[in-house]
Amino acid sequence: MPPIVHVRGLSKRFTVHKKAPGLRGSVRALFVRDKLVKDAVRGVSFEVGEGEIVGLVGANGAGKTTIVKMLAGIIHPTSGQARVLGHDPWKRHNDFRRQIALIMGQKAQLWWDLPAADCFLVLKEIYRIPADRYRRTLDYLADVLNIGDELNVQIRRLSLGERMKMELIAALLHTPKVVYLDEPTIGLDLSAQRAIRGFILEYRERHAPAMLLTSHYMEDIERLCERILIMREGEIVYDGRLDQVVRKHAGYKVLTIHLQEQVQGVCETPELAAVGEVQECNEELIRLHVPRREAATAAAHLLASYPVADLTLEEPEIGDIIERIMAAQKGAPA
Amino acid sequence: MLRYIRLYAHFVRFSFSRAMEFRLDFFFRIAMDCLFYAVQLAFFGILYRHTSLLGGWNLDQAWVFVAGIFVADALQMTIFANNLWWLPIFVNRGDLDYYLVRPVSSLFFLGTRDFAANSFVNLLMALGVLCWALFRYPGSLGFVGLVLYALLTIVGMLLLFAVHMYFLIPVFWLQSSRGLDEIYWSIHVLSERPDRIFHGWVRRVLVSILPLALIISFPTRVVLGEGSAWTIVHMVGVTFVAWSLLFVFWNRGVRSYSSASS
Repeated sequence: MPPIVHVRGLSKRFTVHKKAPGLRGSVRALFVRDKLVKDAVRGVSFEVGEGEIVGLVGANGAGKTTIVKMLAGIIHPTSGQARVLGHDPWKRHNDFRRQIALIMGQKAQLWWDLPAADCFLVLKEIYRIPADRYRRTLDYLADVLNIGDELNVQIRRLSLGERMKMELIAALLHTPKVVYLDEPTIGLDLSAQRAIRGFILEYRERHAPAMLLTSHYMEDIERLCERILIMREGEIVYDGRLDQVVRKHAGYKVLTIHLQEQVQGVCETPELAAVGEVQECNEELIRLHVPRREAATAAAHLLASYPVADLTLEEPEIGDIIERIMAAQKGAPA
Repeated sequence: MLRYIRLYAHFVRFSFSRAMEFRLDFFFRIAMDCLFYAVQLAFFGILYRHTSLLGGWNLDQAWVFVAGIFVADALQMTIFANNLWWLPIFVNRGDLDYYLVRPVSSLFFLGTRDFAANSFVNLLMALGVLCWALFRYPGSLGFVGLVLYALLTIVGMLLLFAVHMYFLIPVFWLQSSRGLDEIYWSIHVLSERPDRIFHGWVRRVLVSILPLALIISFPTRVVLGEGSAWTIVHMVGVTFVAWSLLFVFWNRGVRSYSSASS
C-alpha cells in the first residue's frame, strides 16, 4: 500500500481572546484583551496508504478534527508539511479537491429544502462526473446503502440515519481517492451505525481509498481500523496497529471468576490483593487485573483457593486502554 | 465557463423550487420590493417639484437613472444579496468547510449559490420600469448606447459585489462584521444618487477608491449620450482593479479561516 497521505511535523496554533465573565469583563475586553495561545496540533507525523483506514482517536480538543481540516485544505497549518496525492492540501488546487472527500457527522453539506437527488446533480456538475458514470455510481451507492426510495425526498424530511447515508453518497459520488470521515456515525442509532460501518468497509473493498476516520465510538474504530493514531493534547502518542495497543500498553489481563457457591467474606481475603488489582468483587463473582506475565500463575492460584465454577482470562477492552492512554497526563508515558 | 453556467442554472432551478414552496413569503417579498420602488419614484418625483435639474439631469433623464436604480437593486437582490448576508454567518460559525473543499471557485460558489427567486419577479418589474423610462425619453438613445448601457450595468453589478465584499471579508479576522456591513448599507445609498451631485475629494473617492457613484450613474450617462470612451474605460478599469484586489483579499481571508471546533 503506497502512502498517499504524508504528514511531517504538522502543527496548528490558534490564538483566542479571553474575556472575564459579566459586563465588567466585556467592557474591559473592549480595550484590553488577554490572548490565549492554544497549540491544537503539535508536530504530528504519519502516513496513510491506499486502501487503509486509519483511526484518529483522542479526547475532545485533542486535535483530531484540526488535522482532518488541514489535510482537507480547509485551514492552514502554522508549521510543518503535508502532501496528499502529491499536493499541498491548503493550496486547494482543483486537481487535489477533485480527488478528496470530507464527511462531517456534525455538519450537513446538502441543501436542506431540496431532495438529495437534486443536490447530487449539483455535485455531478462540480466534480465533472460523466453522466453514465454518475448514474452507475449513484445506483451502486443508493443500493448498498439501501436508500434508493428516499432520493427524491427533501433532506429535511429524512431521519438522521437517512441523512447521513445521503451525506455519504454526496461525498463519494466522484469516487475520491482520499476520504476524511469526521465522526460519521455521531448521533445515529445502533442499526444505522452498523449500516454505515458496513458500507464503509464495502466501499473500501471496492475502491481502496485512503481513509482517515475520527470517532468517539470505539466500535467504529474497532470494526473499521487496523491502524490507529491516538492523540493527546495535539500530539500523537501512539501510531500502530490496533491489536498491538493492548499488547504494548496494557501490562495486565482481565481475570474473571464465577464461584460455584456464595463465599462469605471472599472479597476481604488477602489472596486476592496478592494476585492482582481487584476491579469487581461480590460473593459470586471476582474480577481482577492481573500482571500479564503472571496471569497463568494467578489463575492457578485462584483455582486452588476458591470453589470456581468458571474462569476466564481475557485481554482488556481496547477502548479502556485507549481511554487510559488518552487520559494520561501530558509527559507521562503513553 | 460552461460548467459554471450549468452550475448556476441548477442554483436558479433550486431556488424557484424552494421559493414556491413557501408561497406567502414569496408574495410578501414581492410586495415589499414594490413598496421600495414606490418610495423611490415618489422621492425623485417630489425632488423635481422643487428643481428642474439634479446632478445635471432633468426629470426625463432622472427617470432613466431611477429605473437604473431599480434594475441594479433587483439584480443585487436576485443574484447575491442573500449570499452576502449569509457569508459572515458562515465564517463565524465555521460553515465554510464544505465550500472550500469543492473544486470550484469558492468565491463563485458562496457568492451565487442562493439565487433569490422572489426578487427575480421584482427584476422583471424593474426591467419594465426601465423600458418605460427609455421609451418615454424624448431624446434619441441609439442601439449602441443601449447595448453599452446593458454591458455597463453588468459591470456595475460586478463592482457593487466587490465593494460589498470589502466590507465582509474582515469577518475572517474579526469573526463578526455586522458593524462593517451596516456601514456598507449606509453608504450604499450613494450609488443611488447622480454622481455629479458630488464634488471635490468626495467625488474623487466615490469614483475611484470607493467607486459607488459609478455603478448606476455612469451607465446612465452613456445611454443618455453624455458619456465618452473615457467614461467606459474608467468604469471597466476601476472594476478590473476592484476585482483584482477582491481576489487578493479573499485568498488572504480564506487563509485565515479557522473553521470551528467540532
